[in-house]
Amino acid sequence: MKSRAHRFKENAAASLANPVLQANLRTAKGKFVDKRAIAIKELDDFEATREAAKDIRNRVLEHLDLWLEKFEEVACARGAKVLWAKDGEEVCRLVVEIGKQHGVKKAVKSKSMLSEEAGLNQALEAAGIRPVETDLGEYILQINDNEPPSHIIAPVVHKSLDEVADLFAKTHKTPRKTDIPALTREAREVLREHFLSAEMGISGGNFLIAETGSVALVTNEGNGRMVTTLPRVHVVITGIEKVIPTLEDLATLMRLLPRSATGQSISNYVSLLTGVKAAGESDGPEHLYFILVDSGRAGLVGSEFQDMLRCIRCGACMNHCPVYQTIGGQAYGWGYPGPMGSVLTPLYTGLENALDLPHAATLCNQCGVVCPVKIPLPDLLRRLREKQLENHLRPWFERMALKAWAWVAERPSLYALATRFGVRYLAWLAGGQKSIPLLGIAPGWTQGRDFPAPEGKTFRELYRARSR
Amino acid sequence: MKVALFVTCLIDLMRPRVGFAALELLTAAGGEVEVPETQTCCGQPAWNSGDRASAIRLAKKLIAEFEGFDYVVVPSGSCADHIKHEYPAILGDEPEWQARAVALGRRVYELTDFLVHVVRLEAVPGRFAGRVTYHDSCTGLRSLGIKAQPRALLKRAGVEVLEMNGAEECCGFGGTFSVKFGEISAAIAERKCANACATGAAAIVGGDLGCLLNIEGKLRRMGDETTQVLHIAEVLTAKS
Ligand code: SF4
Repeated sequence: MKSRAHRFKENAAASLANPVLQANLRTAKGKFVDKRAIAIKELDDFEATREAAKDIRNRVLEHLDLWLEKFEEVACARGAKVLWAKDGEEVCRLVVEIGKQHGVKKAVKSKSMLSEEAGLNQALEAAGIRPVETDLGEYILQINDNEPPSHIIAPVVHKSLDEVADLFAKTHKTPRKTDIPALTREAREVLREHFLSAEMGISGGNFLIAETGSVALVTNEGNGRMVTTLPRVHVVITGIEKVIPTLEDLATLMRLLPRSATGQSISNYVSLLTGVKAAGESDGPEHLYFILVDSGRAGLVGSEFQDMLRCIRCGACMNHCPVYQTIGGQAYGWGYPGPMGSVLTPLYTGLENALDLPHAATLCNQCGVVCPVKIPLPDLLRRLREKQLENHLRPWFERMALKAWAWVAERPSLYALATRFGVRYLAWLAGGQKSIPLLGIAPGWTQGRDFPAPEGKTFRELYRARSR
Repeated sequence: MKVALFVTCLIDLMRPRVGFAALELLTAAGGEVEVPETQTCCGQPAWNSGDRASAIRLAKKLIAEFEGFDYVVVPSGSCADHIKHEYPAILGDEPEWQARAVALGRRVYELTDFLVHVVRLEAVPGRFAGRVTYHDSCTGLRSLGIKAQPRALLKRAGVEVLEMNGAEECCGFGGTFSVKFGEISAAIAERKCANACATGAAAIVGGDLGCLLNIEGKLRRMGDETTQVLHIAEVLTAKS
């Protein structure tokens, strides 16, 4: 997927000006936040479970290479092939090769963030393989001219029923309907044909379990089952950080993932897929491939950003983020929106390609307190800001202003003098009014609100005068 | 008990009366209160903007100015937390300074936390006529656990608190965020103001001036000239 993260400000302005999106964001916010709050109350040891989940993920990251080798060994013993991809390009190349080898004309897909990162659909199309998204949300985006997703688990959360109704009528050439069950039935009918005719299924993976060589898929629609069991060939594409040691670890993480994501105590489907169809078995693929992708992950191991690799892609951080709630996910410009995206996008696509993202957060730490694996997201955002400054990636004016302000703040007498003039200037601007409608030195502030006038003298001056 | 007041740069510049209100509360609590004269800013804006070098220098300056006191009280949850919890990280490469930061951190309190948990102020000096709604500022709430303290004090002052929806949600201030992403920031503030006004309270009260200026600025832009926006120290020392 091509990143549009460098256009964050324009993207955000467009989101703010879109009334349909704003209405949808308001509804979605209530749903996700309230449901999660109820769901975590069912756990009497929620905090302890978070701590345990964090430990599991940390344990893996400390010896990521060993756990991956273990996974490879066990998965291969069950008849799977494990392939390694350095980046998105390699992912595309490998999938196309597999497709050609097995004479694939059509591939059905269920959610895979990595295939989105890699831009796999375009590569498949170029190679004459038709990719069909089968997650309802992803399907809607695909038939809407490959619109980018706005959320990692609810990719069309920004869309209204009316928009979908129009889209279905146009694409399926059926009478327009706004009854949701009828719309889903229509999608099922269209997709069923594809499930039955596709030679290859492509899925992501929520977790890879080292002790059994399995992939765990956490879904709500059931399409994941079709994609992974009906076609002859199944390709799992996922990041190398997704491995966990045992099934017991999976059980711990599963207490948190659906609750944090959608407020469900368990998702509708949890599939554990292990190996190829054995002799005498009636379903499952004849060929199973795991493509385990680096794409910048290995570089984070051992770095100051390693904590981010704990992420289990639940989306809670974005659902609770005041900025995400205001502008939606597409504004972030890549597959990963919200706080996790503001950390991942610059790390995976280059600091210089997402300069706004680490700053587009109030550091309110609502994300940090809901994250099921306790990733200190605000802290990571702050470190990215530091990295930008170190690499001279901030505008000259901003760097100078920051330096000048700090320089003065270190010199109390100068600071006293500067602030004395500063507040008088602001008070003069206010001209006796309670607030200033347009502030030349900080136009951003007065874009959408007034700047309250200062009292006119500093505390320092008044306190001095009083103690005399 | 030697108490130092760290006024914070925003209060120094924008709302000196909040500083004096804090002084009055601390005096009422029986403390011998000093306001070290060379204080400026805790350095949070530098740290949050990624300027580690400046953040280090300002941290050291503040530590040297305040470490001689029994307690350091700050009428802002976000500045208090910066000193208490971020300084040790900021000074992580200099063990000696880090130890001084940790030692100071133990004696740093947000104002309402100090009044309720350390000096147990029962007789609040002010009287405020009118019902209020309270905005829980993010850092105070999530890093220092400031939630019950301001409400307890307001109760002692006879002030009724009308809880708004989403009291714990961010107001959209976020320091430099409010200037860099003015439109987004103001849109978040609008939700906060709508929730606050829906309570019918006469005043929106909080413990962090940054948030309060943001909320006040948005209210006035929305044409609301009557709802007051006050720091809790002002309410607790009000003479109405
Ligand atoms: S960062 Fe935490 S909250 Fe956000 S998606 Fe990842 S696991 Fe979930």
